[in-house]
Amino acid sequence: MKSLAIVVRDDSYDKILTPLAFAYLTASEGTQVDMLFVNWAVKALTAEGAAQLHIDGRHAGEEAKVREGVAKAGLPTEIYDVIKALKSTGSVNFYACSLAASIFGVDETNLIPEAEGIVGAAWFLNDKAAKADHYQYF
Amino acid sequence: MDEIQVTSTLDTSGKCCPMPMVETNKAIKSLAVGDVLEIIATDVGTRKDIPSWCERTGQTLLSSTDQDKVFRYYVRKDR
Repeated sequence: MKSLAIVVRDDSYDKILTPLAFAYLTASEGTQVDMLFVNWAVKALTAEGAAQLHIDGRHAGEEAKVREGVAKAGLPTEIYDVIKALKSTGSVNFYACSLAASIFGVDETNLIPEAEGIVGAAWFLNDKAAKADHYQYF
Repeated sequence: MDEIQVTSTLDTSGKCCPMPMVETNKAIKSLAVGDVLEIIATDVGTRKDIPSWCERTGQTLLSSTDQDKVFRYYVRKDR
């Protein structure tokens, strides 16, 4: 697999781990990974938003246990640190959806430097997702 | 079977997916063609991940063992 496109919608701490882990896994093999963050997940591309990610709903009480498991697995426990680790592979691009950015309060001033920028979904879907060897939606 | 001459050992004990594969990818890059990497893992996912990774990336899995849930893989770098 030469390229992978991922759209991330869920922003709870536990649910965002899977697309990030998949990206890390494939990027480490040299696969080009392009990730578009939509809806609430766009906030993960800000330092403040990434730090505020928590487990929602019925699993909320198990966050400490989950973070302990993440550390044991060998991953950074903070989402921003995971994003930095992915970026360090040189094979992962992070994009913020322009609609989501507008609605959920993300702009060029608070976007993390690891992100490529704020882009339109049409561009991502046509130039990245449609041309990728594989496409995933979380 | 001839004794395998290990060039380098990567111990991923305790770590889980994706880290054993992320670290394996890093480790193999630092080796020369013909070198043998010993990978120690406790993640049961590696039982499928390592053989398929070898096939996909053109490396050779010389041997593997499972002793008390500790898996050892001996991978020769072929490319």
